[in-house]
Amino acid sequence: MEIELVTFGKISELIPNQKIEVEASNTDELQTNLEQLFPNLASMKYKLALNKDIVQSTQELRNNDIIAIMPPFSGG
Amino acid sequence: MSDKKIKNIFVNGPIAPEFIAKSISNHSSKTGIGGHSIFMGQVRKDEIDGKTVSAIDYTAFEELALDKMQDIREAIFNKYPLSCMHVHHSLGTIYAGEICLFVFTSSKHRKPAIDACDEIVERIKSALPIWGKEIFADDTHRWKENQ
Repeated sequence: MEIELVTFGKISELIPNQKIEVEASNTDELQTNLEQLFPNLASMKYKLALNKDIVQSTQELRNNDIIAIMPPFSGG
Repeated sequence: MSDKKIKNIFVNGPIAPEFIAKSISNHSSKTGIGGHSIFMGQVRKDEIDGKTVSAIDYTAFEELALDKMQDIREAIFNKYPLSCMHVHHSLGTIYAGEICLFVFTSSKHRKPAIDACDEIVERIKSALPIWGKEIFADDTHRWKENQ
């Protein structure tokens, strides 16, 4: 299925926003795929958001879902 | 779920001292208020490995940040007896010495205003998807990490 990736902060410099084709039925599987596709990610701290909700525990994925990859926040 | 309108906290560019003054004077008609507390975040000219920070460039996942801010707003109003709460955070390039965060709480008595203001700032820093890129005088950069 196709997933849209949006990235922020430091991660946006390594992984530009893009659509990718993945074989993953949930966000845990997607995370494994992402770390294979983008090996730099494996050593970084980050959180995922699925369609604008922060992923706390694994969520089912659907075609055309939007996944945000977010490094630690540094606002304020 | 709340049916309250989601408030925008984001401002493009620095928060002007005149805006802060206006926010204070806007409360003069709310005579039940006995105490205000204000926090202002200012961009610091840090020196890191011999290089000087000249500005911070802020970006955010705005929709998610506004949702999270709404949760914080509701939690704070439930916890403290506040008359009002205002939060403004900059996006874009903010130079050293300029204001990038303005939190303003008001209450009948000082203590809830002070405690709520403090808790809001802590929560903004830990829970809102906002990123600061420290721009050095030589145009290189480093992504900020909150302490």
